[in-house]
Amino acid sequence: MRRWAVIAVAAVATVACGGTSPGEQTTGSTIVLGAPLGLTGSLTKESTLTQQGYNLWLDWINARGGIVVNNVKHPVTIKYYDDTSNANQSAVLMQKLITEDKANFLLGPYGSAATATDAAIAEQNEIPMVEANGAAQSIFNQGYKYTFGVLSPANKYLQGVIDMAATLSPKPTTIAMLSADDNFSLEVAEGVNTYAASKGMNVVLYKKYKNGATNLSAEVQAAKAANADIVLNSGHLQEAIAINKAAKEQKVNAKIFAYSVGPSTPDFITALGKDANYVYGGSQWTPQVKYTPAFYLTVPEYVAAYKAKYPGLGDPDYHVAESTAACLALQRAIEKAGSLDPKKVRDALAALDVTVFFGQVKFDSRGINIYKPMVVEQIQNGAHHTVFPDSVADAKPQYPTPAWDQR
Amino acid sequence: MIATAGSQRRWRRIFLVVGAIVAAYALLAPLSSLDAAQSAGIPLLTDKFWFRIATYVVMFVVLATAWNIIGGITGYAAFGNVAFFGIGAYTTGMLIAKAKWPFLVALPLAPVLAALFAALVGLPLLRLRGHYFAVASLGVGVAVGELVQNIDYNGQPVFGGASGLFLPIYAVGHRGLFFFYLMCGAAAVAIAVTWWVLRSRFGYGLIAIRENEDAAAVIGVNTTAYKVAAFALAAALTGLAGGIFSQWNVFINQDNTFPIEYNVQMILMALLGGTGTVFGPAAGAVLLQLLIQFLGGSLPISFDLPFVSSEARPIVAQVILGLLLVVVVIFVPRGVIDFFGGRTRLSLSYLRRSLRDTSL
Amino acid sequence: MAAFVQLVILGLLAGGVYVAVGVGFGLVWGVLNIVNLAHGALVIVGGYITWQLFTAFGLDPFLTLPVDAVALFVLGYALQRGVINRIIRAPLLFTFLLTFGVNLVIVNILLLIFGSDFRSVTPTYSGQGFELGGIVIPYVRLASLGAAILLSAGLAFLLSRTRIGLSIHAIAADRDAAQLVGIDLRHAYAVTYGLGAACAGVAGGLIAMIQAITPTAGEPYTLQAFVVVILGGLGRVSATVVGGLAFGLVEAFGQSIPGSGSVFANAIAFGLMVLVLVTRPQGLMGRLR
Repeated sequence: MRRWAVIAVAAVATVACGGTSPGEQTTGSTIVLGAPLGLTGSLTKESTLTQQGYNLWLDWINARGGIVVNNVKHPVTIKYYDDTSNANQSAVLMQKLITEDKANFLLGPYGSAATATDAAIAEQNEIPMVEANGAAQSIFNQGYKYTFGVLSPANKYLQGVIDMAATLSPKPTTIAMLSADDNFSLEVAEGVNTYAASKGMNVVLYKKYKNGATNLSAEVQAAKAANADIVLNSGHLQEAIAINKAAKEQKVNAKIFAYSVGPSTPDFITALGKDANYVYGGSQWTPQVKYTPAFYLTVPEYVAAYKAKYPGLGDPDYHVAESTAACLALQRAIEKAGSLDPKKVRDALAALDVTVFFGQVKFDSRGINIYKPMVVEQIQNGAHHTVFPDSVADAKPQYPTPAWDQR
Repeated sequence: MIATAGSQRRWRRIFLVVGAIVAAYALLAPLSSLDAAQSAGIPLLTDKFWFRIATYVVMFVVLATAWNIIGGITGYAAFGNVAFFGIGAYTTGMLIAKAKWPFLVALPLAPVLAALFAALVGLPLLRLRGHYFAVASLGVGVAVGELVQNIDYNGQPVFGGASGLFLPIYAVGHRGLFFFYLMCGAAAVAIAVTWWVLRSRFGYGLIAIRENEDAAAVIGVNTTAYKVAAFALAAALTGLAGGIFSQWNVFINQDNTFPIEYNVQMILMALLGGTGTVFGPAAGAVLLQLLIQFLGGSLPISFDLPFVSSEARPIVAQVILGLLLVVVVIFVPRGVIDFFGGRTRLSLSYLRRSLRDTSL
Repeated sequence: MAAFVQLVILGLLAGGVYVAVGVGFGLVWGVLNIVNLAHGALVIVGGYITWQLFTAFGLDPFLTLPVDAVALFVLGYALQRGVINRIIRAPLLFTFLLTFGVNLVIVNILLLIFGSDFRSVTPTYSGQGFELGGIVIPYVRLASLGAAILLSAGLAFLLSRTRIGLSIHAIAADRDAAQLVGIDLRHAYAVTYGLGAACAGVAGGLIAMIQAITPTAGEPYTLQAFVVVILGGLGRVSATVVGGLAFGLVEAFGQSIPGSGSVFANAIAFGLMVLVLVTRPQGLMGRLR
């Protein structure tokens, strides 16, 4: 089975190379990609996942000799720096990557704040930056021409859940929206607030709380008092865990619990055990989706490659996948531009339209990928399952969520 | 061993000359990157990349020197001065982004607003002493940052909220050079003000307040007025740095204009260099900021730690920073400026003595 | 009406944790005049010890609390005796900076040992609770409040009835005079800091049950300890208990302000703290120092 996979990969690779046999290609200069990440500090966890995503692609592309530009193979190297999860430091390091390390192109950092500052640097230096971990729309509303985001924008994160809810019966109609007050979370919440009515649902409660809060009992109590069918949270892992625990304590028996961030990370299940069941999450990507890639690995091959390189960590989560997708977008743009000139590659990125294991990668006029749908996953019996949309789902949603006493 | 007068003078001369050469290089070398200089055949003495780091270093010179006025000279260890940085940044930021003022017109308002705020808050706050003042100023520092980010009017955030404020990229040639020199200008102002304060009657009053506030009141110093003035002065200089930062960084939000770590860093720098002196905080700022940048890997000098994997390296670097901090605070409480000034020599007995002075 | 009572209950229960966090901090500040910026880190160390014992041996987390206390006492004693004692006679600023450095070291060592993954202690009875006429009282939180009260009572007893406790009172009152009557200052200081650390450790164990912890999760607790201690007042354990419960209530009501009120939680807490400092520095119940 694996042999066929390897042959398939090789075939795809050969086709992607334009059908020329490896013997005809010479090796050219090394392409340097720059990536500042929060490898220490508050964003360590997510930045490490981002780095894993970049490295998976790096191994693959270098095993094939590099990116092919006009029949010349260019090996790739990625220069990483630790910005200590500090956005200002990220900007300093971005500048260093451009001026000192002579990076040809830039890969994004983790987090919307760092991405915002780095986008300004990329713009000032006119070097394209492809990022996968900063979904705040404000970054893309600045008219920057050199920043591209392969991930779906923040406001779409929970819209998939609403779409799914609209197909369920009995149809839930009321929503309690809890949101952290950071930029990204607020955009997700706004996305829900503006979208709900179009699907016949009503946001009966909208509460913002301090980003990083660990005691959310009062907010959850308000959700209970509002008696909403759907409880949504837009925030981070810590808060998702706190809200779920508080919901159990206060016996909030909503029909749907969905959190924007949290359910897809393994820590969520290990922290909550059985209480994590039935929780939905909006996700950029899950290992169960079914996309047919134009190049690079298929979804199952990608999962296998991740497990081979990073054993013991379970399946790759979407942070890893979207980071790899950023590299793929850059690679394809360079190949199509047929040059390493930043402006030509930028134009190629703007015109890009390709489907990879991550989904469709295409950028709107602002530079963000509005074309890839968000999927909805649910934790069922301690395992992740993709439940919506049907075309990529591998299980049906377990609906409605049973009351806490009856589990 | 205290250095003898002769060798003391000699050391001082050596340090002054070295310091002057380094400062001159730092200030003039960037000019070699101008096109005019290039075409005149001057070799490139520095790199665009250094501007960003150098501007950060100079920014901390301003912050540390400003803090020194209220913390070092007056003896009121304010722990929330980052509030003034943020106020200055948002003042300039709002005027440029929302009211469309030109940068150089918006900038002077940053120190003004910061000083006004300091005067307002300082009146009640400066009645507290010691720990209480430090904690209260920390509280103000945190609270202001929160308020600025979250205040809404009619459902819209007033100051840009969580998504921050984006400023237009300043249209000037050689942006890196421009902002570096602008920040140097602010640093020059800060140092000049400190120099003037220490030589003025105002400064004597502040030192009197630091040494013995009640006695100072008895001999006729208007302690409230002096303290508030010092606080406002420190705030103005800090706010000026904030104003420059907002246009230089193009993007401001609560995290990068009210970072709590800055509070500790500016105090640390003043302490490291020598509180109560003119150049001490500046020396401390340069040393510490370069150290932080070095450990963070953003300088072109890389280092390798044996037995440490590359993932663990940044974490170990932070541990080293913490240990260094502990060691320095224990052994060099008066700051390094003493050595540069030639007043004392770095020797084992000096270290042992300073340890004995402060230990239990 | 029921909602109001529920809010009060939730506030008091949350206050339990704040009491535990605050008593250790207040002890060290009130007696030794040290503002311990590493307090949050010590709390998290306690949390990790509890988590480790829970996952490795299946020990009930409440049973691990004494282990936390002892382990952190030893750590605190060593820290004070070996490091912090060296700058006691220096101006107060130095202890700020020293403890900041210690904090940096502890947090990053935790990061090296445990990584940045979020860990949580979820015993089988987690999430369950009583229900009295529509008001829910979760077991874990109730037990935490109980543990915190017990801790404070134990500390108060130690301080007022034991010999070492009286020594601590003496050095708080007049350090040099205490030395004159033969109290070993170095030991007494180290014991005090050790006790403060022990309380922090217990608080950490409680926190691990209520939220997910990661090495950097202690920072907010240091800040909250400030507010609790100022609110209640320095000088007495009972004052800190009042401060902790009061803070829990302030937080609960602050967070239930409709709309986006709860984002101002920090601002309210700190504003309240500044207000107390400026108008009534001895806090709700403390003695003026």
